[in-house]
Amino acid sequence: MATITDQGTAKVGAQVGRSVPRLEGRDKVTGRAEYTHTMRLSGMLHVKLFRSTVAHGRIKSVDTSAAKKLPGVAHVVTIEDVRKVIPDPYYGPAFHDQPILADGKVRFVGEPVAAVLAADPHVAEQAAQLIVAEYEELPAVYDEVEALTSKVHVHDVLKPAGTFADLKHLKDAKGTNLALDYRLRRGDVDKAFASAAHVFEHEFRTQKVLHLSFEPHATIADYKDSGVTLHTASQGPSFVRTEIARLLGWPENKVRIKVPYLGSGYGSKLYIKLEALALALSMIARLPVKVALTMEEMFYQITKHPSTFRIKSGVDKDGKIIARKCEVYWNGGAYADIGPRVTQKSGLTASGPYDIDNVWIDSYALYTNMTPAGALRGFGVPQLVWAYESHTDMIARALKIDAVEFRRKNLLREGRPHPTGTVLKDAAIEKVLDRLVERINWKQPMDRGTGVVRRGRGLGIAIKAVISPTTSVAIVNVSADGSVALYCGTIDMGQGSDTAMAQMVGEVLNMPAESVRVVQRDTDVTPYDMGTLGSRSLFHMGHAVRRAAEDAQEKLKALACEVGEPEGSNIPIPALFVKKYGMQAGNVIGTGIYKPDYVPPAPGTGLSSNVTPFWMISGAGAEVEVDTETGHIKIAKLISVLDIGKSINPKIVETQISGAALMQLGFTMFEKMHLDGGQVTNASLADYKIPGFHDVPTAMENLTVDVTQSNGPFGAKGVGEVSTFCVSPAIANAIDDAVGVRLMELPLNPESVLRALRVKAGKPLGDE
Amino acid sequence: MIPFELAEPKSLTEAIKLLAPDDAMVRPIAGGTALMLMMKAGVFHPTRLVSLGKIEKKYSGIAAGKDGLRIGAMTTLSALEQSLDMKKLAPVITRTLRTLSNVRVRNVATVGGALAHADPHMDLPPVLIALGASMSIAGPSGERELAVEDLFTGYYETVLQKNELIAEVRVPSQDGTRAAYMKVTTGSADDWPALGVAVALQSDGNAVKSARVVVSAATSKAMRLPGAEAALAGQRIDDKILARAGEAAANEADFIADVRGSVSYKRELLRVYIGRAVRAALESGAH
Amino acid sequence: MTARTIHFTLNGAPVTADIKPHHNLVELLQTHFGLTGARESCGQGLCGCCTVLVDGRAVSGCLFLAVRIDGTEVVTIEGLDAGGKLNPMQEAFVETGAFQCGYCTPGFILMANQLLDAHPDPDDDQIRHYLSGNLCRCAAYPQIIDAVKLAAKKRKTIAA
Ligand SMILES: Cc1cc2nc3c(=O)[nH]c(=O)nc-3n(C[C@H](O)[C@H](O)[C@H](O)COP(=O)(O)OP(=O)(O)OC[C@H]3O[C@@H](n4cnc5c(N)ncnc54)[C@H](O)[C@@H]3O)c2cc1C
Ligand code: FES
Ligand code: FES
Repeated sequence: MATITDQGTAKVGAQVGRSVPRLEGRDKVTGRAEYTHTMRLSGMLHVKLFRSTVAHGRIKSVDTSAAKKLPGVAHVVTIEDVRKVIPDPYYGPAFHDQPILADGKVRFVGEPVAAVLAADPHVAEQAAQLIVAEYEELPAVYDEVEALTSKVHVHDVLKPAGTFADLKHLKDAKGTNLALDYRLRRGDVDKAFASAAHVFEHEFRTQKVLHLSFEPHATIADYKDSGVTLHTASQGPSFVRTEIARLLGWPENKVRIKVPYLGSGYGSKLYIKLEALALALSMIARLPVKVALTMEEMFYQITKHPSTFRIKSGVDKDGKIIARKCEVYWNGGAYADIGPRVTQKSGLTASGPYDIDNVWIDSYALYTNMTPAGALRGFGVPQLVWAYESHTDMIARALKIDAVEFRRKNLLREGRPHPTGTVLKDAAIEKVLDRLVERINWKQPMDRGTGVVRRGRGLGIAIKAVISPTTSVAIVNVSADGSVALYCGTIDMGQGSDTAMAQMVGEVLNMPAESVRVVQRDTDVTPYDMGTLGSRSLFHMGHAVRRAAEDAQEKLKALACEVGEPEGSNIPIPALFVKKYGMQAGNVIGTGIYKPDYVPPAPGTGLSSNVTPFWMISGAGAEVEVDTETGHIKIAKLISVLDIGKSINPKIVETQISGAALMQLGFTMFEKMHLDGGQVTNASLADYKIPGFHDVPTAMENLTVDVTQSNGPFGAKGVGEVSTFCVSPAIANAIDDAVGVRLMELPLNPESVLRALRVKAGKPLGDE
Repeated sequence: MIPFELAEPKSLTEAIKLLAPDDAMVRPIAGGTALMLMMKAGVFHPTRLVSLGKIEKKYSGIAAGKDGLRIGAMTTLSALEQSLDMKKLAPVITRTLRTLSNVRVRNVATVGGALAHADPHMDLPPVLIALGASMSIAGPSGERELAVEDLFTGYYETVLQKNELIAEVRVPSQDGTRAAYMKVTTGSADDWPALGVAVALQSDGNAVKSARVVVSAATSKAMRLPGAEAALAGQRIDDKILARAGEAAANEADFIADVRGSVSYKRELLRVYIGRAVRAALESGAH
Repeated sequence: MTARTIHFTLNGAPVTADIKPHHNLVELLQTHFGLTGARESCGQGLCGCCTVLVDGRAVSGCLFLAVRIDGTEVVTIEGLDAGGKLNPMQEAFVETGAFQCGYCTPGFILMANQLLDAHPDPDDDQIRHYLSGNLCRCAAYPQIIDAVKLAAKKRKTIAA
């Protein structure tokens, strides 16, 4: 695989802009990095969960007697036992809708119904197999479009958490599966459609896929009446602390959340996952308790949202899009998790990076009887881009306009209002498109082949707003020997944030990033951060870290002044402390807080003059080869072009771009959770396949454009998700270019391609 | 995994004695790669496993003779992959092993396990059937000879009695055979196949005298396709003949739908891949 | 079920452990020796996160019964940086940034060393082929190829 990389960034300073090798590299290559999944505390009990086998049902009985009798079993716990220690055992970030163990009802296959605790995990496993449950099965709803009008209701009453203002109206709502409806109304779409020269309407769907981080979910809770400590694989320890404190009715200072390295997350370890259960079990056992999932069990924890997107565009005679109507249905599964936020935050960019006067967006978060869905590398945006960039290509094709020309005609340009009303700034959409067109040789003719194998190329561009408004806090601690430690809550789950943050500290304090220590995440020590999600950290925490370092710098200057150093003195820091305290003693503590300005979308219209502090922009181009006899697709080339502002660490940026693009390649080509009556039929790595070495495109280009994010820390902004956005439509567009068939549903697997080819040839394949 | 007893006999005969003719919860374990998966998934709860790890060394070696190769059942797939005798006799096996699972599994998994497990997605059975391989089966009352093509009765099912063991696999001489195996995946490149096709041809240039054609993965067991074989035998290969053989194969195989493809799709794949496999065999050069 | 005592060499040192027939190699290393570099992810022999060398051959610890370790020589990732000096492959992984979360990294490093033992100067195709039985969900594949090539160079320089 040939890889071209070109960051196109000038060095900002000695630390920022340099490809510093990851600070934690040594721990990772020697196998000594610590992860929650392999941690042990002495006296700890292991847990095996007994899970529901029905998708929707009332629990008639749970017989745990045989399990309890098995020698070595410490406890067998159901919701009744949990209620004795936590009277209101419901949790969740947007809704308090998820019970710690199934409570009266089960809502998806795989939902935990009982937990067995034992010192020996094999005993727990054996005992869990002895539990027997009886259910009165209820009709279930799986499809997101059906869920909107279905008579089957996953929850009897909705219970919004109160954290989010736009969910308040749903409190105590009955008889609905709708967990949020976000709307955007700009101009008058109906009038525009009536006057349009052409109207196009399509429906696109995405499948259920999951994060499958290689370290499965794991939490160890160690409860004492004086306080509780949780070691957990979490992307958001601050939120976990708040939620655990709420469940206990305790002040936050009695709850301590510690997070070692994460064997990645991609959104799966956000908000609260196993922590509430581990807490309850530790309270019951009065011992440390570890809940650690197997890879198979991750299929029952959290997934990406399947979606249906109905998109309709009106185009005038000159090829200008004058109206776009978007109806997006998000399949949220049995518990809301962060689905309502996905629905709103991605919903607002559903009309794409285009300048359209009349826009109508309805975005629905829906409950269904499946594994809950949450954020997965893109917070819903990849699902949207899949639809709008396929749709855009289809329009260009139908109007016989070159796909790039058509996009150019309609691009949202700097200084123009996005459909939300927020004026576009620092969003290099056009530059990204230019670079893409150049790298994919768009203007040169392509040899499309004549035999069994046909070739084609395609591209797509996208926009995303960051989750807003969110807060980050950082502390920079200068010790008397001049060494520096950074305390920040951003979780380095592989994206390299520790290294990037250390670079920013080093830049301000003029010292090598390698010498800055980033303290392990521990809520007793590291200050508040909203969470490591949505590519927000480099921007938000980056600013907080920069401010903390600047604050420390100011304080060092003040100290120098105080001890009588002349203005501009470059006295070494250790000497400064000695001068002040007479020996190597004392600290200088710098703090920084960052929360961007934000105007919430107006209810009803979704409009806002400041909906995001920065825009994420990306494009992807693909060249494919299609085997017309079998439908197999080979990706000959995959190009990603991103606007990430300035690059803090070009090497890490490159791995983020290629890693995210390859992950999305899996979601595009073959990853799919197969479901039969709510039961996942391929819940293991043997049957749920992810990209391996042989699935990497023959050539990959991971590029950025040379721009600056003017309000970003050192000109930078986030990158973690950005190259996922356009991979799916770029490939679907390339397939259409090669063989003239259009796929409307992911994944683009060989069978779907062959079926489409056969339909086109008038010889459709049978349904067997 | 749930606890069980492990016996480690020192001889094949002793191992057979430790097996129980009527107890499905007692089983032999060789490399353990397939059994461990089943035990971890909770689909198999043995009370006792009889390890073949310590039986006579002769069951883990490859011996070349005039009439072909004798491969001990405990030979690891890595040893088979690296065997120069094997490569000389039937390079198609060496090639097949390259994409069979991964280095770690091949270092541990055995030839006996690769046959007895009887998962229809496995790669060796179709190739061995195409090459006309046979086995020596040892039981309480001695050894018997069985063709690999007669081993499988269905999905994960064989004719083996619960107290019988595969002792040895024999691959006959392959003078003039041209063979190929095609593993067709529809998920990631390293997925289990949606279809496996093995062909072994006796041919003179493009003119096929006789053919053995085997399908796997798309069906409940690896099996020969006599219709396709007949369509190829005595023919000079061209697109028309291949289409006819593909058609015959598509009509005679009994497909199973799963997450890797529907019946209709697998039928199409087989139709196409019969031709591709025959061409690959012809291009591979004689053994 | 009956426990038994096994004796083996672990990263060069003779050790013993009391285990049961149903314990696997990953558990043995983690619970008895506190070594967590081999870790279970897929649990099915597919990802390679649990890679351990037994008598010089790579195996998936998740599918390997611990009893089979009796009398063997076992090397884990923790045995590679003897005396605090990184192995050339480890250095190469750090220098090329061939990982993100690092969960799969020990397995890749052990396998990649096996590859270089067999093919000291591998091309892209050999690397891809040999390592195709290891998976990385962070998809650091392009950088892993760079790392293996760099390590091959480093090994040659050391040998010269
Ligand atoms: C990650 C992974 C990937 C794989 N990929 C592939 C692949 O791509 N292609 C492929 O073909 N296979 C693949 N396999 C399957 C692999 O080939 C089998 O697991 C292996 O061959 C079984 O051999 P074993 O010695 O480990 O058998 P064991 O697990 O020990 O036994 C398997 C079965 O055979 C029985 N048995 C073993 N030896 C004998 C004997 N001598 N006589 C009678 N019965 C016996 C056992 O009782 C058991 O029922 C894969 C396996 C794994 C774990
Ligand atoms: S955990 Fe053993 S190979 Fe994946
Ligand atoms: S680095 Fe995360 S799985 Fe490989």
